[in-house]
Amino acid sequence: MLTMGLDIGSTACKCIILEDGKNILGRAVVSSGAGTVGAQKVYDEALAMHSLKREDLGRLMVTGYGRFSFETADNQKSELSCHAKGIAFLMPTVRTIIDIGGQDAKALRLNAKGMLDSFVMNDKCAAGTGKFLEVMAGRLNVQTEELGDWDAKATEEASISSTCTVFAESEVISKLSMNVNLANLVAGIHRSVAKRVAVLAYRNGIVKDVAMSGGVALNKGVVRALGEELKTEILVHADCQLAGALGAALFAWEELCKQA
Amino acid sequence: MTETVAQKPKRPLPKSRVMVAAQTAKVYQDAWDAKARGEKIGWSTAIFPQEICETMGIPVLYPENNAAAISAKHLGDDLIAYAEGQMRYPMNICSYARLNLALAEKIQDPAYNTADPLLPSPDFVLLANNSCTQLMKWYENLSRNLNIPIFFVDCLFNYDEEKPAAYKVTYIRKQIESYIAEMEKFSGKKFDWDKFLEVQKRSQINSKLFDDIIQLNTRVPAPVNGFDFFNYMSCLVLCRGKESTTEIFKQLKLEIEEHIANGTTSFPAKEEYRVHWEGIACWPNLGHNLKTLKNYGVNAVINGYVTAWNIVYEPGNLDSMAYAYATSSTNSLTTETIMNMRSDTIKKFDCDGMLCHVNRSCKMMTFHIFVGRNIVEEKTGVPCSNFDGDQSDSRVYSEAQFETRVQGLVEIMKENKEAKNG
Amino acid sequence: MVNLDSLFNELDTIAVNPRIALDKYLVSGKKVIGCFPIYTPEELVHAAGMIPMGLWGGQTTPSVAGQYAPIFTCSLLRSCLEFGMLGKYQGISAALMPMLCDTYRGVSGAWRVGVKDIPLIAFIHPQNRKLAASREFLAAEYGAVKTKLEAIAGHAISDAAIKNSIGVYNAHQAAIREFCEVANDHLDVVTPKIRHTVMKSSHFMEKGAHTAIVSQIIDKLKQLPIHQWKGKKVILTGITGEPDDLLDLFAENKIAVVGDDLAQESRQFRTDIPKCGGPLESLAQQWLDRTACSTVHEVNSSRGKLIVDLARKYGAQGIAICLMKFCDVEEYEYPMLVKAAEDAGIPSLSLEIDQSTMNNEQSRTKIQSFAEMI
Repeated sequence: MLTMGLDIGSTACKCIILEDGKNILGRAVVSSGAGTVGAQKVYDEALAMHSLKREDLGRLMVTGYGRFSFETADNQKSELSCHAKGIAFLMPTVRTIIDIGGQDAKALRLNAKGMLDSFVMNDKCAAGTGKFLEVMAGRLNVQTEELGDWDAKATEEASISSTCTVFAESEVISKLSMNVNLANLVAGIHRSVAKRVAVLAYRNGIVKDVAMSGGVALNKGVVRALGEELKTEILVHADCQLAGALGAALFAWEELCKQA
Repeated sequence: MTETVAQKPKRPLPKSRVMVAAQTAKVYQDAWDAKARGEKIGWSTAIFPQEICETMGIPVLYPENNAAAISAKHLGDDLIAYAEGQMRYPMNICSYARLNLALAEKIQDPAYNTADPLLPSPDFVLLANNSCTQLMKWYENLSRNLNIPIFFVDCLFNYDEEKPAAYKVTYIRKQIESYIAEMEKFSGKKFDWDKFLEVQKRSQINSKLFDDIIQLNTRVPAPVNGFDFFNYMSCLVLCRGKESTTEIFKQLKLEIEEHIANGTTSFPAKEEYRVHWEGIACWPNLGHNLKTLKNYGVNAVINGYVTAWNIVYEPGNLDSMAYAYATSSTNSLTTETIMNMRSDTIKKFDCDGMLCHVNRSCKMMTFHIFVGRNIVEEKTGVPCSNFDGDQSDSRVYSEAQFETRVQGLVEIMKENKEAKNG
Repeated sequence: MVNLDSLFNELDTIAVNPRIALDKYLVSGKKVIGCFPIYTPEELVHAAGMIPMGLWGGQTTPSVAGQYAPIFTCSLLRSCLEFGMLGKYQGISAALMPMLCDTYRGVSGAWRVGVKDIPLIAFIHPQNRKLAASREFLAAEYGAVKTKLEAIAGHAISDAAIKNSIGVYNAHQAAIREFCEVANDHLDVVTPKIRHTVMKSSHFMEKGAHTAIVSQIIDKLKQLPIHQWKGKKVILTGITGEPDDLLDLFAENKIAVVGDDLAQESRQFRTDIPKCGGPLESLAQQWLDRTACSTVHEVNSSRGKLIVDLARKYGAQGIAICLMKFCDVEEYEYPMLVKAAEDAGIPSLSLEIDQSTMNNEQSRTKIQSFAEMI
């Protein structure tokens, strides 16, 4: 029996097809977010991968920022619950999840049963989110996806002290004009994000094991810096960007079983 | 205040500064020693009636001043992050409070030694809300977190700026009386009213002396880099009633008079422009402030803070003392009066402009700047420029912005000067 | 035929647009005195035959207030300043302003410059409340306020009139408290929004008139069979728990509000005015009796215990901390509240209440996640 989880985020749409509530049959990611054709595209892609149709899906659960607007969904659940569910499935020892998305950052805590126990979200501010990294990458004239590789080349961290994205941008410009090494700047930017997100994580409470989720988790530099701020190892699963969609698919499975 | 000029000074510190460092060190050491002997020590807000504990020989330290010192050494960021993270205090509260609440928790572990200067943990706190209401909430948290008593003198903000009615002064005086009685019980020490009179007299002498010193900077060019006055605030906050403060101020006065006699100055460049600095210093960014101002030849000859300790009263008269604490500048002046005062100061000190530190932590002072800046501009005809910063939180300041704002101000001051001269 | 719906609608009309009520009073020849949050001696206004009307701001993105009020100051007072500057409070004869926090220290100056047509009657509560001198002071302070109100009313305010108004206010408080109790047996009818509306509307009506409507509501509710609520229950704590859209999110997620520690709501009604010497002393004593509020200095704050007790008493599965944006007195209490909930094993939710935004998306996600969690 197949279920689908669809995570319509602010900057990307993710899709998982799950078999019998335990095997990941298909994955798809499209880099256009809510309000675009991204959701439809990722849904079509995932189905096409295995020549499936909507009727083949036992249940479809939507999550993410755009979860209220996908018509053929059976139900919707918040991305916090879905991320928690998905990560707990991928890494059963994890009790703390830090999710840095395109436009927000969240800290989630799970109880011993892997259920969401408490959460804290950021304050509608670009600092400490994917947006901040995007702005800085633009300033440095590199691709956001390259930031992790640049970080690995850093010999030291340039200090970016401002909380405010606009001020931080001007710091970066100023340092660029002083010929500060690009890799070191990137490392400093990652430290800035990590510091901001660490505060969020501490507020929510840290229990091991700690994992990162969401698109920014693919940035090894942020993972490095955050691990240093939290003084703990941070686990990142290859499918972390899809955790929300996976959790949605799992919830869909649970609802399906209840109906039967 | 210990080292506040961030980089290594090119000349040796003047004797008065050395004396300040020694005085501050002694205040801290006395507290540590008292603690070691099992005696009680307290933490206090900056404009609390210091005369009582001074009379009773009970060491008191000052978290605001301590936070400034820690920030000036760039050691505050981790504490602030700890307060916002593990302690969950929202980042919008005053950065002194965030820093100090974190420090108060950290120092419960005797092995903690990252901040400098460290404070011994308090057995009680002294609270006067004549600077602001956030102090009340901050100290409630200290009291709750450390499980220690608060001695509170509620100073009743003077919203109408009339002379406080007798019934208000009575309420405040009764609190001071009650506080004296309670402190006797709490400390086991007897209150010596004769010594109290001496301490009151000494406090008046010191307030007047500092006033006289500030006036010396009306000279053109100024004999003092106005920023230096921030370095002597610790005398007024920590040691207002002490003889050592009188000695320091006498020495400082000598040094300034020497500058005047020799035609020298402690300002490290040619004084092209004189400005009034509004707001407290950006302690973590002092170095950049000074460097930028120096580069443009701008001497911040006077600032609004130095009037905050003008607690003038008749020694021996508790009503007079209560009245003075209730009418301290931060507690009693409307924006209009403050800005009128600034205007007078700007004229007196021959300022070409006003530079306003919009201190993210201090909503009160920021309101004054927002509501009243145009009063100054209209009354004095000098330009004003704002910049964003914070007294302790280094993340709020932008070097690029400060540079731009100062440069903009300088350009207008330059035009004005040229227009005046021909 | 008056039914529950029409009673709720009547109160809703007033709560949603207080201007209508204000105009009605002005047209009828009544003078209206604005009352800034949280605690003002409304009883004195009432005793003078004038109408006290709460100034609780509203959802608006300030366009002119920013001239005087920095963006990082209390969003509620910023809205009030905005409305004042745009003339939306026109007709009010004066405004009572309690100096409860630093924003008030600043806004008193801003108001005097920006809203010159509504004079301020500023006053201050004593925060060192354990001394006898405290009550003496506040009685005298209220006396000064009374004198200023008399000048506006054009006549003296007698002790008898104040005593009578005290009676009206105590009766009103009792009625509201009863409404809150009874409401919990009818959560199908008393949605979070309606519960809020009943209390919010009290700020814009003469208290006796409001009591009359609330009493009718209580009677009609009692006639209905008790409803067993199957969804979740929460307690709200903070300055305000609004706007209506936010409360609808609770309802959407089948969460009922069964109790509150909100400054705009229950904090107004849980401390009666005791009989304590003359009427001004009685009013003063009410302030000294207040507890568990971020604007009231209480050495060992009982607020943590209060919200936990409320949750337990009414079977709430969670506590929603409604943190007014940039309200520093509330911010200082935030860690204590989270800890109290944690220690009691009750999940808590942190919501940001911002009067300057029309967008509720973050709250939507948070409330939904909370519902899925508790």
